[in-house]
Amino acid sequence: MELPTASRRKFLVAIANLGSTGWIAMNWPQIAYAAQHGGHSDANDAPPTRLNTLSPAEAADIEAIAGQIVPSGKTPGAKEARVIYFIDNALGSFFGAQLPSFRQGMAEFQGRFAKAHGGKPFAAASDAMQIAWLHDVDRTPFFMAVRRLTVLGLIALPKYGGNSDYAGWNLLGVENNHSWMPPFGFYDTDYPGFEPYPGTKPYTA
Amino acid sequence: MARKTYRTSETVDFIVVGSGAAGGIVARELARAGNSVVVMEQGPRLASHEFEHDELKYRFLSGITNDPATSPQSFRSDPAQKAAPVAGRNPLTYAKVVGGSSSHFNANFWRLHEIDFIERSRLGAIAGADLVDWPITYAELEPYYTKVEWEVGVSGLAGASPFDPPRSKPYPMPPLPVKASGVLFERGARKLGLHPFPAPMAINSVEYKGRSPCIQCGLCGGFACEVEAKGSSVWTVIPEAEATGKCEVRANAYVFRIGMNKAGRATGVHYFDRDKKEQFQKARAVVVCANGSETPRLLLNSATGSFAQGLANSSGAVGKYLMFNKGGSAAARFDKPLNEYKGANVTRIMHDYYDSDPKRGFYGGGGFDARSGGPLTWGQSVPKGTPSWGPGFKEYLESYTYWMTVAGHGTSLAVETNRVDIDPELKDTWGVPAMRVTYKDHPDDISHANWQVERAVEIMDAAGASQIVPGEVGNTSGGVHLLGTCRMGNDPRTSVVDKYHRSHDVKNLFLCDGSSMVTSGRGQPTQTIEALAFRAGEFIAKFARANEI
Repeated sequence: MELPTASRRKFLVAIANLGSTGWIAMNWPQIAYAAQHGGHSDANDAPPTRLNTLSPAEAADIEAIAGQIVPSGKTPGAKEARVIYFIDNALGSFFGAQLPSFRQGMAEFQGRFAKAHGGKPFAAASDAMQIAWLHDVDRTPFFMAVRRLTVLGLIALPKYGGNSDYAGWNLLGVENNHSWMPPFGFYDTDYPGFEPYPGTKPYTA
Repeated sequence: MARKTYRTSETVDFIVVGSGAAGGIVARELARAGNSVVVMEQGPRLASHEFEHDELKYRFLSGITNDPATSPQSFRSDPAQKAAPVAGRNPLTYAKVVGGSSSHFNANFWRLHEIDFIERSRLGAIAGADLVDWPITYAELEPYYTKVEWEVGVSGLAGASPFDPPRSKPYPMPPLPVKASGVLFERGARKLGLHPFPAPMAINSVEYKGRSPCIQCGLCGGFACEVEAKGSSVWTVIPEAEATGKCEVRANAYVFRIGMNKAGRATGVHYFDRDKKEQFQKARAVVVCANGSETPRLLLNSATGSFAQGLANSSGAVGKYLMFNKGGSAAARFDKPLNEYKGANVTRIMHDYYDSDPKRGFYGGGGFDARSGGPLTWGQSVPKGTPSWGPGFKEYLESYTYWMTVAGHGTSLAVETNRVDIDPELKDTWGVPAMRVTYKDHPDDISHANWQVERAVEIMDAAGASQIVPGEVGNTSGGVHLLGTCRMGNDPRTSVVDKYHRSHDVKNLFLCDGSSMVTSGRGQPTQTIEALAFRAGEFIAKFARANEI
């Protein structure tokens, strides 16, 4: 059986090495089904591609703030991870209860910024102006809400809108696989095995 | 084979309320003894492939846990205050699916030690607390701990810890493969002369009883296991209960009141079905295994004329003595990647500091383990001094795979004013009065947690960490280990159930779950809850055979 993504091909190898051949043969259909439907399916749950909750002007400012929270550069940031689609999706569905207070905070943020900058919207300001302004407001509930949503959007599964092409996971160093085999990291690679303590007699079934 | 079903008009031998760690086991034991059993579970029954690798859903959106939007709770730290409804995450969190919280636990299976059962006798009274001995000893429970390990399936290495209590058999499976965090924890602790050892986990390291070995996906705590390697009731004892042909597991059945007759006997349970339609199931006896929050709530919501203060509550102890497992931790960064998002959550633990030591100047003891959080949870906060946004924050995000945590898991003292009761105003979406939680840490619990932070820092320093972030010990405002709220004891004036889990006040009403625990133990209560459930199931079946229910 060939699975459609690299992660699931690796999963097949991993599971084949873990269990007894008989168990795998007997249970393979269920395992493959779990892998395909267990939240790692790239084909299912296509992420939203349109903004449905925020207006274009709102979305532009929120995306600009998110872009300063996790900036672009040599590696992708919040913009490349399409975090704005997560935020729009979240506020229009599972975090919908937060939308009224979020909008109120956003209106205050936008109003104050425009007043101090001759009517210019935040998204149209230079990086330096944006950063200076955010340093003044980064303890407000509104900024904290955008920050929280930005981090969630960066790392949550792509089906929610952000973490586009797993850009967030790549940033963190998280590989997109369904299962793993030891060694998992650097320090367990050469582990010599558990050494019993004097006076103890470990025993197994 | 078609699953057995019963009509509500049939009088079954037993109703078991709750299908989690305790309920699944009690149901299996009663059904295997020949009794007709209906298990009532308020949540849905999900197939293994329906559980996803979705941290947002399970850790932030109440995917399978009690949702504050539909099942709200209120909280206060002072009994004199008015409790306020809590948004975001309920103070007392549990999984609301067939399998209960055994579906989403981390699967750390630690036995209690002998000292846990007799601390009052050893240490005397503690001011501001109600520390009492258990009515049973470790020796009485030992056979049932062994039964859990072999019936449910636990991997581990018997005899590896010099502090292990006596055991009659080894673990049926070898330990899970060690992770980088386990290696570093072991390295640091051994340098300090301590004795870390392979963690006992209710996760299959090899195929066991027809269930898969762990695929090391890294998503244990908060998640259910889609390959059924974790020892959740829904994959272990519940299918065995159903295989008897005597047990029905009724999902989406929310029990809100226990029916009583004038003779003071339970007659069955009132529940809402999946269509929110009220139903009544008749039974000869009722066993409530609904967890340390919902069990007392159900009893208090079942108050009647002759039980005006709540069912089985002549002692006034129902809902009181709520305990969690207070602990202190430290995060640490190393020079090379650990990749803690891979592999079962915990692979090494340590019990050197298990006993309470009066020389410290406060009560408390516990165990330590090496672990980590999922990336979504980890990214929410930053260490002191690290920017919370901008290029510095991005650099911190890029260090995710270099971090681990040493977590201390310890005691919480039983305090009478720490409790679950009924909020006078708040109701859930079914119109049932919601629970109100009152909790304030005993000062010794805070002192011990801070002491654990210091020990965790020492271990990570000895392991060669390049950066250590001591955990902050705050005031407890909730938890997932829900303990002590219907404590067992020999004296009906001070306890709710006897040592066989029969309520002192109602002969055919039994309670068995975390609420039965008299002290909190040291951090990992589930194996004890399951050992109690095997023992309770055995005795309740004997009572039924002898027509003593």
